[in-house]
Amino acid sequence: NTMKVKILQWHAVASWTWDAQDETCGICRMAFDGCCPDCKFPGDDCPLIWGACNHAYHLHCILKWVNSQTSTPLCPMCRREWQFKG
Amino acid sequence: MEQDDADGSLDSWARFCSLSNELLGGDGDLSVGPRLAPVVADLCTRGLATLVRDYFLHSLEETFRNNAVKKFWQHFHPYCNASPVDRIKFCVKEHWPEEILSGALEDICLEKSYQEKCVLVLVHALQSYEDRTPKRKFKAVDCSSSLMPRYQLMVSSVLLTTLPLSFPEILNVYFKKKLEELNIIMAGSYESDQLGNHELFESSNTSDWHSGMDIDGQDVSESSCLVKNIGKVVRDLRCLGFTSMTEDAYSSAIIWLLKSKVYELAGDDYRVPVLGSVKKWIQAVPLQFLHALLTYLGDSVDYDSGSSGLKSPLASRPSSFPGIGVPSEALVRWHMRLEYFAYETLQDLRIGKLFEIIVDYPESSPAIEDLKLCLEYTGQHSKLVDSFISSLRYRLLTAGASTNDILHQYVSTIKALRTIDPTGVFLEAVGEPIRDYLRGRKDTIKCIVTMLTDGSGGNASGTGNAGDNLLEELNRDAENQENADYDNHANIDEKQAWLNSESWEPDPVEADPLKGSRNRRKVDILGLMVSIIGSKDQLVNEYRVMLAEKLLNKSDFEIDSDIRTLELLKIHFGESSMQKCEIMLNDLIDSKRTNSNIKTSLLKTSQTVAGQEEAEISHDVLDATIISSNFWPPIQTEDLVVPASVDQLLSDYAKRFHQIKTPRKLLWKKNLGTVKLELEFEGRSMQFTVAPVHAAIIMRFQEKSSWTSKTLATEIGIPMDSLNRRISFWTSKGVLTESAGPDADDHTFTVVDSMSDVNKNSIANERLAEYQMTEEEGESSVASVEEQLKKEMTVYEKFIIGMLINFGSMSLDRIHNTLKMFCIAEPSYDKSLQQLQSFLSGLVVDEKLETRDGLYLLKR
Repeated sequence: NTMKVKILQWHAVASWTWDAQDETCGICRMAFDGCCPDCKFPGDDCPLIWGACNHAYHLHCILKWVNSQTSTPLCPMCRREWQFKG
Repeated sequence: MEQDDADGSLDSWARFCSLSNELLGGDGDLSVGPRLAPVVADLCTRGLATLVRDYFLHSLEETFRNNAVKKFWQHFHPYCNASPVDRIKFCVKEHWPEEILSGALEDICLEKSYQEKCVLVLVHALQSYEDRTPKRKFKAVDCSSSLMPRYQLMVSSVLLTTLPLSFPEILNVYFKKKLEELNIIMAGSYESDQLGNHELFESSNTSDWHSGMDIDGQDVSESSCLVKNIGKVVRDLRCLGFTSMTEDAYSSAIIWLLKSKVYELAGDDYRVPVLGSVKKWIQAVPLQFLHALLTYLGDSVDYDSGSSGLKSPLASRPSSFPGIGVPSEALVRWHMRLEYFAYETLQDLRIGKLFEIIVDYPESSPAIEDLKLCLEYTGQHSKLVDSFISSLRYRLLTAGASTNDILHQYVSTIKALRTIDPTGVFLEAVGEPIRDYLRGRKDTIKCIVTMLTDGSGGNASGTGNAGDNLLEELNRDAENQENADYDNHANIDEKQAWLNSESWEPDPVEADPLKGSRNRRKVDILGLMVSIIGSKDQLVNEYRVMLAEKLLNKSDFEIDSDIRTLELLKIHFGESSMQKCEIMLNDLIDSKRTNSNIKTSLLKTSQTVAGQEEAEISHDVLDATIISSNFWPPIQTEDLVVPASVDQLLSDYAKRFHQIKTPRKLLWKKNLGTVKLELEFEGRSMQFTVAPVHAAIIMRFQEKSSWTSKTLATEIGIPMDSLNRRISFWTSKGVLTESAGPDADDHTFTVVDSMSDVNKNSIANERLAEYQMTEEEGESSVASVEEQLKKEMTVYEKFIIGMLINFGSMSLDRIHNTLKMFCIAEPSYDKSLQQLQSFLSGLVVDEKLETRDGLYLLKR
């Protein structure tokens, strides 16, 4: 065989995803792969966080929720006590 | 007694008759005067004064008609009897009609002046009788004073009743020729003066037109001699009662000369202003001529000392004219008349060529400036609007013109008309047909976005016209943004508000009251472009698609020019509308950082296991653009099986990404991106930049030099037709050859194995040929706005079809409103009129609908 192909550069395209089970954040109803209403940029700037109950939210959304609770904060979805998944 | 009386009367009458005949027939012999006086006195005492006067006038008329008038007209007979063709021959003759005219005039005036003397003799006779009998109120009183005016009247009426039809024509030719002569003399001195001016300018600023004239004394005498001759002719003509005919003749000659001068100066060159030189010329030639003429005739003095009530309120006197000093009222009138005519002529000339002028707009701005000044003077803007619209319809808004050309002309029109009329009233009228037309074109939005973003930097695709770069425009507007921010009333302080209200002016009469006031009509190019599209959202959307396409096909992360464009767009459309585009660019910035992180860490680990995968490709060749797909327009995805070695690289990369960015994951869009590769034959290599699918295809030919399309398609994981389309890239480059395969729709592709074959099939003959995919070969990575819209609109297609079955034919508006009214359930109809229009035109192309007189109906 006389022909050889030498790859000089392969510039590929990919998209990222948080790989959460759900599509949208249960608090702000925005897509997980989007960002919460307070953020301008998705991804690193607006990360997801999982609770011990395995429910995911935008970090900023759940923090707002947790901070607004007077008593022990509960997961907005399952009403179990909210704890960040370690 | 009665008999005596009658005899005496008859006797006196007979003597009077013979004496007056002697007087009139005599060759300048006025010696009969003293003998005539007593006879006249005698006749007057008998109450025959009027009879005396009438008889005298009658015989004057007879003599004048028979001797002078006949001879006078005879001079012109050759011309008057000639055919139109022969008349031209006369006009070409050098001294015609100058010689004949002045000769004829001299003769007749000589005769007339002799007759006038005769009249005076009689007047004296009558007067001396009246003086002797002052108490008696006789009719003779008005006889003496009315004699001369009656004589003048007689002269002109005799001449006018016998006037050949072509005499005014002869006068006209005479004045034209004389003025041309004068123009040439003046032009000589005018030019030498200009030269002189130039040289003198540095040493002293005092040199003006007049001093130039003085330096060239010969010209002065030559021209003044010429004017004197003309003046003599004019005076003679006036004296014969041709006053108004003469004035008509020289006015029209001046106007004619002025017109040809304007045409000569203006011509088809739009890069130089001509108004100034036209005005200078008016002062240099026609006004000098008129000044000299009026002074010679003594008119100017009359006007100058005349009552100020005559003065036109418009004629605010210029302090002085060069070479003339303080001008007379008549001269000022002439000046205004000539200038107005010059303005109008130039304006008509420029309006007629406005289309061409706007085509070379930035270069032709002097012509536009001229036109502006002319229009300010004449106020005939509506002429411009009408003529320009019709030339637009005829020359621009046709199927043959490309959308880009139309847009460029539109932008030039905006810029040019903004100069002429800053309020934008006329622009609105002119722009409307262009906008309407552009709305009917499918590629309008795309072209507008390209115009907006193309240019200034980084974009290889356009040989963008620097003059028409809209970014520049955006940029400049951005600087003026603060002043233009008229919506924000809170920011205007009271003082400024007061100043604004004080400088308020009403709209021009032509303004359409429905279109809002002057403020809102501020000329904003971008706003006008957006108004073609309908809404800024559509423009932004199209921009986003084009940006996505551009970014996804990049092989590096250089986006400086795009960031700049985005910043400018943000200023105009607001940050929130550009949010998604900003995220897209931000993705590129992030990708650059993440990419280098991942690659460094991958290279480190691969070094540790070096030697193991020597033949494989290094991690170094892989770069990735990682996008936040929620914010990008829908991406065209296609399954693609890349060669195992590349696939390994991709999964290593994704693994590392997951490690760095847990819990985020990468999803490859394997069909997207660009691949730079080198094909190595024996002693020869070629470089290509291609899409991943092309790379995947050609890499398969390393394992096996020959593939059938069916098997290759299966290997690569793409449909057969899609493979056939893509593989043709390689056959066209002479890398693969196609031959009939096992069955009709299955072809065999084989690598061209010897170098000579490659040379034969390919145009390239350098050792290292580099190929870039051209636009037609490349495929879009992003679904176009049109495709997206088509998808969304398909739901409404059956509604529209149903509507048209019921109603036969409907206008765009009606379809739009009906959809709005009835499609309220999911999915509710939320498209704009423009979107509907472009969808409907798609249906027309698909031959489902047709249009007739702006109505849509079903295609049968």
